[in-house]
Amino acid sequence: MIQKIKDFLGVDIKEEKYKLSDDPVFGRISDEKKPDKWVLSTCGYCGVGCGLYIGVKDGKAVYTKGNPKHDVNMGTLCPKGLSEHQMINADNRILSPLMKKDGKHEKVSWDDAYREVSNKFKEVTRKHGSKAIGVISTGQLLTEEFYTLGKFVQLGLRTNNYDGNTTLCMASAVMGYKQSLGSDGPVGCYEDFEEADVITLIGANISDNHPILKLHLAKNKKKPKIIVIDPRFSKTAQMADIFVPIKARTDLALINGLCYIILEQGWENTEYISKHTNGFGLLKKHLQDYPPQEVSNITGIEVKVLYELARSIAGADAALTAWTMGVNQSYMGTDTVSAINNLHLITGQIGRPGAAPFSITGQCNAMGTRETGFTSSLPGYRNFGDERAAKEYADIVKIPQEWVPTERGYKYAEIIDAIERGEIKALWIVATNPLVSFVNQDKLRAALAKLELLVVQDAFYSDTAEIADVVFAAGTWGEKEGVYTNSERRCNRANKAVEPAGEAKSDFDIVVELSGYFQNVRENLFPSWKKPEDAFNEWKKVSKGQLCDYSGITYEMLEEKGGVQWPCNEQNPEGSPRLYTDDIPFRTKDAKANLLPLEWIPLQEPLSQKFPVILNTGRTVEQWHTRTKTKTIDILNDLAPEAWVDINPDDASRLQVKSGDRIALSSVRGRIEDVVVRVTQTVAPGNVFVPFHFNEQLINTLTSSSFCPKSGEPNYKQTAIQLHSEKVPAGLKLSEKEVTGLLEHQKIEQEFYIKNTQNIEA
Amino acid sequence: MSAATPLEDFINYKADTGMQCGNYSIDLPELQEDENYRFHFDATACVGCRCCEVACNEQNNNPADIKWRRVGESEGGVFPEVTQLFNSMSCNHCIDPACLIGCPTNSYIKIEETGIVIHDDPSCIGCQYCTWNCPYGVPTFHEERSIVTKCHMCHERLDEGQSPACVQACPSGAIEIEVFKPKEWLESEIDENGNMPHLVDARVTNATTRYTLPEHMPDVLTAADDHHLKPSHSEMPLVFMTVLTQISLGAFLGLFLGDLLSISGKTSPSWIMALIVMLPAALGLPLSALHLGRPLKAMTAMKNIKTSWLSREALALGVFTGLMSVNVVLYFFEMSAYIRVFFEALTLGVGVYGIYAQGMIYQIVARPSWNRKSTLLKFFGVSYIGLFLLAFALLVQGENEAALPLMSLALLCALAQGFFTYEDKRSLNDNGTYTTELGKTKRLYEEFFSLHQNIRLGTFIIGAILLPLLVTVMVNSSFAVGLLGFSIILMSVSEFTDRFLFYATVVPLNMAGGFFVGKQRH
Repeated sequence: MIQKIKDFLGVDIKEEKYKLSDDPVFGRISDEKKPDKWVLSTCGYCGVGCGLYIGVKDGKAVYTKGNPKHDVNMGTLCPKGLSEHQMINADNRILSPLMKKDGKHEKVSWDDAYREVSNKFKEVTRKHGSKAIGVISTGQLLTEEFYTLGKFVQLGLRTNNYDGNTTLCMASAVMGYKQSLGSDGPVGCYEDFEEADVITLIGANISDNHPILKLHLAKNKKKPKIIVIDPRFSKTAQMADIFVPIKARTDLALINGLCYIILEQGWENTEYISKHTNGFGLLKKHLQDYPPQEVSNITGIEVKVLYELARSIAGADAALTAWTMGVNQSYMGTDTVSAINNLHLITGQIGRPGAAPFSITGQCNAMGTRETGFTSSLPGYRNFGDERAAKEYADIVKIPQEWVPTERGYKYAEIIDAIERGEIKALWIVATNPLVSFVNQDKLRAALAKLELLVVQDAFYSDTAEIADVVFAAGTWGEKEGVYTNSERRCNRANKAVEPAGEAKSDFDIVVELSGYFQNVRENLFPSWKKPEDAFNEWKKVSKGQLCDYSGITYEMLEEKGGVQWPCNEQNPEGSPRLYTDDIPFRTKDAKANLLPLEWIPLQEPLSQKFPVILNTGRTVEQWHTRTKTKTIDILNDLAPEAWVDINPDDASRLQVKSGDRIALSSVRGRIEDVVVRVTQTVAPGNVFVPFHFNEQLINTLTSSSFCPKSGEPNYKQTAIQLHSEKVPAGLKLSEKEVTGLLEHQKIEQEFYIKNTQNIEA
Repeated sequence: MSAATPLEDFINYKADTGMQCGNYSIDLPELQEDENYRFHFDATACVGCRCCEVACNEQNNNPADIKWRRVGESEGGVFPEVTQLFNSMSCNHCIDPACLIGCPTNSYIKIEETGIVIHDDPSCIGCQYCTWNCPYGVPTFHEERSIVTKCHMCHERLDEGQSPACVQACPSGAIEIEVFKPKEWLESEIDENGNMPHLVDARVTNATTRYTLPEHMPDVLTAADDHHLKPSHSEMPLVFMTVLTQISLGAFLGLFLGDLLSISGKTSPSWIMALIVMLPAALGLPLSALHLGRPLKAMTAMKNIKTSWLSREALALGVFTGLMSVNVVLYFFEMSAYIRVFFEALTLGVGVYGIYAQGMIYQIVARPSWNRKSTLLKFFGVSYIGLFLLAFALLVQGENEAALPLMSLALLCALAQGFFTYEDKRSLNDNGTYTTELGKTKRLYEEFFSLHQNIRLGTFIIGAILLPLLVTVMVNSSFAVGLLGFSIILMSVSEFTDRFLFYATVVPLNMAGGFFVGKQRH
């Protein structure tokens, strides 16, 4: 009461709380939050991999500051990074293991939780075989944890039905690199943004998703020509010299068209083609199906623009093409990645500073799981089914070769299908939240309901954790140690700054301890493993001689140098900024890259009278994934507290809505209500955009179970939907003409013209 | 492992960004005597990532809802020829800062050497007049601290050669600190490089921020928060304070006229009447302290007589009320009418100046719906209630004959107030520089407050016109006193409602905001 009166009278203006104070490392900062120590680490959000320091005061994380000595971010951080310490202290943290009793989660001991899960796993294995256990992990753990988890799942639980949420974001890049270049592994590096003369961003909205990459663009002194290819005029499009408003999911046709023009004009690099590639003849023949006018009809891009793009890329001293989910999250994501590789191979725009087909990764350590995680390949990019590779791996880690899986198990979506069929009975989900992030939510929920056991291991009480039978309370970023590898293959060090919240444990500890509940598993797989470094040392041996070679890396080196880019070995002791330079050959048998004939295919779910609008989904800079980490951070969440739908003014006037009104969206699979309208020219008529972060306006209720056959990545970016406003509940009518037929129409017009002129002449 | 952390002094370390960003230290040439610091914002570099906003709050320990730096968004063109324009703005460190000029407690300081405008926290009383005055909406009231706070260009860091938090954080190098010559800036540069769409003309306060804008700008840019429409703070203590002091002024005018007539032989007003005319002001003035963050320091509001209309109002109305109470004493001790009339003329003069100063508080560019002649007219116009009040006192005392002419005068004044109100509404449609804000004010009237408007109109017609007319006709009836008393209540309700609408419907100048957060000001 007295305090209330005092506050009302404004007696205390809290000068103490808001004063500044001198910090010897970073200068004047907030006195109240002045740390006792600064701990070097790496950001745990996206794949850019920014170096930072965590300020710790009285055992609590209070500050995050960009590391100016780190080559990735040079002291800068994005809004999520700058407030990352708040994430550790979020009130949606899981503080102890939980078990569901009578439909409610109750706190249990770690022993109870491990016992319950191990017993159920053993029972399922006994009754249905070990492959009835499925595991879906993430791109969020540390590399040491991924290696440990993968090893336990594949060699301990003996199931290869193991995949990560990385299949939802970069699997197509993995498979595309593999089929073109012989191995996974992003080719370029951030420095290439500084060195390139032409930078093409295709399906990549770096302004929202990877803002720190803008630093490297800003550092480029050559005034590069920036080309942004996107159906949406995103924040990134604003930096474009040429914005290419491509029709949704016609990217593969566009790239093929550019290759056609390059060959037609003789702009290709014949020397590079003959020295470093296979399949040129077949490609050239195949490209005859993609003449400029046809490509223009498909993509909606004028022929003269196509020529300009082709000339810019082929003619540049150094051309960089970077992409993210606009390319990957597609039914033909893998082939589109390969098409981009084709473009760079025929022009020789690869393996030099500023020249690369460069996939930007989404998560902080998607790379770590790609390399070590036992999902899309055996550790070290060893292919499943490669006898020699399996033996090599078995020998290094001293296990019988027959333990090593010989084929890839089910991919993410196939795991869900297998649960639906009753084939998989127990599912272990680690640090991901499919109940917001996966496509076709109604189908997913029905499938998960059939499980005998659902275990969720997470630091945050996510939507998926809510329905779990058992919850493992995991530590998060800042509470555990290891390494992350970023988009440019840079391995970065993350130190532990504070103790895990409550009774939570690091994912490394959880996996190793759980393995102890299975006979001989811990002894065989993790003999005398005590800390993540034990896993790292084994991983170094496993990766030695592979493309992703970590053998020359030490933790100390990472701290001193601000990360090291693999391959790092005796040959490249400082690491390697880029792949496929003169001294790093392609990982195919004859060390030549494959030029591939790739076919553009129209949308699987074409627009119809009932669903005449294309839905595009994506991110906003303030939120992370399914918001488990960012929704409690007010400064981020306030800026984007709910989903919205971007609508072109033409469509808005047809629906009789304006900005701030609310509408419903529906597809063949479901309907979501109450999405706030943002009328904007950043989307074309007939196209809408909705961010995917939000569980209340769950946009993945609408998206379809359509996956890239090669990578298993969902086709998130194009869904046929309808919009329903209060005044126009039936929604929009299909207005756009079908693409095919346009050419016919033009031919007829031309014939008509010729006939007429002939008549006049006669 | 943290022991092995190669932690060093990053203040003396230069990252190779080739820009000011990233570095915790900043290299700026030493300021010459005619030079200051300013912000440069490069809108062609900004990608709208909001790093600067978060970095600012982290630096200054501010909670999420206190934003010294804000990023606004606007858009123009037709797909695919679109322009998205971002504006990251904190304080523009004006050469003629409206915050500083209006501040009644001299709590703003423009540091002479650097040109940085800082806020002196301890002397601030939380009156928030600066938040009204700044056409950029820069100063923001910090509820927890009961005072206003704002960007100070991290001057404590700059003094040590350290970069401001926003400059350090921007991954595009879009925010920089520059050294410039204010004299040259004012000569012409400001018109070329000082303006940004959606912001007030930089000349109004002589803002110093230099803007780099895209070469080709669309004719029309729509702010991302264009659809936002919400009433402003209703300022209830001020609703009562202003209306009550204005009633007192009217009543005192009546008293003065009566006293003047008493010299020519009419009945002289009584000390009770002198007391009654003083009461509304005596009640209203202290009420105004309730809107302060720190009401105990209300008296310091008179500090800045030199430039602040708020100081002038506080002083003049304080003196006015004081003189009115002395006047009561003069009546009580039946001083000679000549002395009284002289004294009352003086008091009235102070009162008129006080209400004028009160009106001038609202004649500010930053708040277009206030910044109109009709504001001043309506402020004085409220005084008709005071005349009725005095007439009521006369009726109670049975001085019906004296009451009648006063009633007629009051009725005329009420009609004038009716006209001012009409004119106030009508002139919202006038074309001018700030049609967007005035248009939104109009929408607020229509979409949020039609009921309030009907109350205002109904109570005015019945309370200020019809009933008083009736009273004039049947002044000798036994109902007259009661009826006039009732009509005074109605007309007061009418004016309180109107004043409430005055505050609630103001739409201040500001920057383009964000789609969800708007301008991030309360």
